[in-house]
Amino acid sequence: MFLNELVLSMSLPEIPGGFAVWCDTALFVWLAVVLVGVLARRANGVVFPVLTALGSLFLLITATVGGNGDCTIPLPYYLGNAPLTFVFDPLSRWFLAIIAIIGCTTAFFAPGYLEHLRQRVALGFVWAGIALLFISMVGVVLAGNAIAFLVAWELMALSSFALVASDHTQQTVRRAALIYLGATRIGTAFLMAGFLWAHQLTGSWTFADWGLSGAVALGPALLILVGLATKAGSWPFHLWLPIAHPAAPAPVSAIMSGVMIKTAIYAMVRLYVVGDHLTAPALGPIILIFGAISALWGVLFALLQNDLKRLLAYSSIENIGIILMGIGIALIGKQQHLPYLAQIGLAAALFHSLNHALFKSLLFYGAGAIDMRTHLRDIEQLGGLIHRMPWTTASFVAGCAAICALPPMNGFASEWLLYQGFFALALHGPLAGVRLAALLLMGWLALIGGLAIACFVKVVGVAFLGAPRSKAAEHATEIPKTMLIAQGALVVCCIGLGIAVPTLLLPLDQLVRVSGEPQLLASAWSIPMPALVALAVGTLSVLTLALAHLARRQPARRFITWECGFGTLGPRTQYTATSFAQPISRLFSLVYRYVVDITVKGRNRHHFPSGVSADATHEPYLETRVYTPLARAILRVAGSLLLRLQAGSIHQYLLYMAAVLALLLWLGVRQ
Amino acid sequence: MSCWLLQLINICIIPLLLMGVIRKTKALLQTRYGAPVLQPFYDLAKLLRKSETISGTASWVFIWSPRVGLMIAVLTAVCVPWAGLVLPEGWRGASNFLFVLYLLALGKFLTMLAAMDTGSAFGGLGASREATISLLVEPALVIGLGAFALQTGQMDLTAMYAAPASPIVAALVGCALIIAALAELSRMPVDDPTTHLELTMVHEAMILENSGRNLALIEYAGALRACLYFGLAAQTLLHVWPGFATLAFGWHYALSLGALFLLGIAVAVAEGILVKLKWRAVPNYLAFATALSLLAALVAAAQG
Repeated sequence: MFLNELVLSMSLPEIPGGFAVWCDTALFVWLAVVLVGVLARRANGVVFPVLTALGSLFLLITATVGGNGDCTIPLPYYLGNAPLTFVFDPLSRWFLAIIAIIGCTTAFFAPGYLEHLRQRVALGFVWAGIALLFISMVGVVLAGNAIAFLVAWELMALSSFALVASDHTQQTVRRAALIYLGATRIGTAFLMAGFLWAHQLTGSWTFADWGLSGAVALGPALLILVGLATKAGSWPFHLWLPIAHPAAPAPVSAIMSGVMIKTAIYAMVRLYVVGDHLTAPALGPIILIFGAISALWGVLFALLQNDLKRLLAYSSIENIGIILMGIGIALIGKQQHLPYLAQIGLAAALFHSLNHALFKSLLFYGAGAIDMRTHLRDIEQLGGLIHRMPWTTASFVAGCAAICALPPMNGFASEWLLYQGFFALALHGPLAGVRLAALLLMGWLALIGGLAIACFVKVVGVAFLGAPRSKAAEHATEIPKTMLIAQGALVVCCIGLGIAVPTLLLPLDQLVRVSGEPQLLASAWSIPMPALVALAVGTLSVLTLALAHLARRQPARRFITWECGFGTLGPRTQYTATSFAQPISRLFSLVYRYVVDITVKGRNRHHFPSGVSADATHEPYLETRVYTPLARAILRVAGSLLLRLQAGSIHQYLLYMAAVLALLLWLGVRQ
Repeated sequence: MSCWLLQLINICIIPLLLMGVIRKTKALLQTRYGAPVLQPFYDLAKLLRKSETISGTASWVFIWSPRVGLMIAVLTAVCVPWAGLVLPEGWRGASNFLFVLYLLALGKFLTMLAAMDTGSAFGGLGASREATISLLVEPALVIGLGAFALQTGQMDLTAMYAAPASPIVAALVGCALIIAALAELSRMPVDDPTTHLELTMVHEAMILENSGRNLALIEYAGALRACLYFGLAAQTLLHVWPGFATLAFGWHYALSLGALFLLGIAVAVAEGILVKLKWRAVPNYLAFATALSLLAALVAAAQG
């Protein structure tokens, strides 16, 4: 689907100025969804998915053939003295395409999924929230100045908060929504401070006017970076992701994890890399280091989770880390005047953003399908789903292969580009230390890859394979066809993008290349993937034919799994997810603070125990040792000092007003 | 064309022959007479003739994993110059070492899934250990090969092994590759393929449920992978002699195969002397591979 559009975009002439028309149509269609959803709160009619898909389609047209340009909404509709300006360029269109693709699949997946929440959730509201979230994400991606950006950003935060809270009859969901809201507030506060600082330095709200570089830019750039990193879920600001994602309905988790956190990536690329709006030399290494820690931290904690959606949320932290490493490489390349490095780092980051949107949505859809059919998220209680939900399992396995960066899936292509970036840095780095660090980063990425494989083998092996571990898993059935279409389309995208990399590198090349630089990206991809896939399919067919021939003479026999002669195996004798992760937990026990407590009971304990129990615990270090004391300290200050400010006494409040008035008057006089 | 043909002949004959040589050497070392060198061929033929038994719990993952595994082994064996053979121009990109490593990881991914597919506790145990070993091995391989690649500036194994290299880097990376290869191939001292106790196994625990044709595919893929890893290690070690890269084709090929078999014999001797490590000591053993790779990276980065 997407590939065809891409080919079209290269052959068809772009419609000049068409972007505004197409994009406006998309936004109005989605606005209609919002209105209908708010008016008919409990409805779940076919009108919602149809309109959502229609809006996404128009947006896809904008992204592919819409052309470049910008549009400003005329005078009376200003925000203060800043106009609402929207910029359409290759970068924003790349992210519009991501939004549009996930919008299309949401329209197919969500109706069936939301149906099982009908008793508890006002579905019209959910659709309205989803449409509003899409509108606001388009706004963020297109915003040409800080004010328009902030308005869209806040709309995005609020609509996603409402979506996280959609199942608010449960206490855990309410808590998750509040924590998420708190995280967005803190992020926006940093973002606003950064924007104000930049405005102070340049006197303009328009991004295009910001040309700050050097030490001056570092302050606002870092404040904005903290704000954006909070939204993106990079370490150490990732706290809300593993709490908010499990609470939200699966299609919403898919949008938030697949697309919404990428808007922060978009803003980083826009401000630091492509536009040269804020360039500070320290920024590249900082982003690279935070990305590297984030990637390892995310996958390490993903490995320990047994709640499927929580695990996927941690894996998002990992992937955001990988994207950040790409951005860091790009910045270092720009700083060192190494165009190849800059181009390939940025290409890796943008390509991985698209890929992560595709496969993470696919995986969240899989988790949603399981949740819908079994009402379970704990993989320790699942199992055997491959016989009961074969198509969901197949697409989930494909998604896992993609997220583990296994060829020929798309995840491999973008991680390979990042490896190329590291290798180029190792080759052309100015200092021996830098070259060594680049080589070590390659090993770091390989370690992350190995951990990701362990993590997703655990998920598939425990949740989908083997025998069912609970009644609910035993009675699971396949999900409706429309939902399978959404999953299938994403699988096709994942494989297609992995094989047709050079086709995709063409539009990326226009995006990452500063005019005048040679075309380096097109020749970066050297793996003859289509030929290799053809060879693989050929070899596999020969093998299959030969095996079929042998099977005719000696057919296979079905029998029980070997049980060492002890009698039938129960589902409880299977390896558990916790046991699977145990050797790796022990390796990284310092990070996890992993403790196994084994108690043996009975009189003659050593030889004839009456009971043995083992209890493994790990501690999310950052949460318990940093954030909890911090939150407690803030509460203490608020409880002791700030409470007195708001004591409920009208006299006190009148005093404040008088004091503020006096202050303002004094300030005015001073001017 | 002749190159393709030679590579195909290599793929058909050398892997099982290498296995036979290793077994024969081990037998001689234990003062046994041992099975004939061609025994792996007979074993393969026997397994292919037998019928297979599949667990009732197993699904298509279990049935397809060995085929795809063998397909991947063949694909990598075609692309990688493990016997010193160089592929035609258009195919050289396929020997990119990251592509090869990730392709092999795809094979491991499927093997681990197939192990968990039957619902046997041994399968899960083996898969868990395999995942742990491979996540420790992969950084060592990537850093080591990356350091070696730094000298030619190209990540294609074909290009890397066609140019002369620094002897120190070649020696360090070669040793790291041997250590890593023993772990990746589930050989002593990390894993004992001939033990009778399933609880101590890694690879054999994963393929406990496979039989007949299915097992034959796995055995052959394993032999191919052994050739691949030992071949890469041998090629790297041969680069300690700077003149190796510029040798005439015949000598180059003969020396490569000779080194491969010599390495096989050396591994057999080592397996005869060494004891299997405790599972908890395996990370320490693999740390040697990582350390050697890091040293190679240090040297390569300093030269750069």
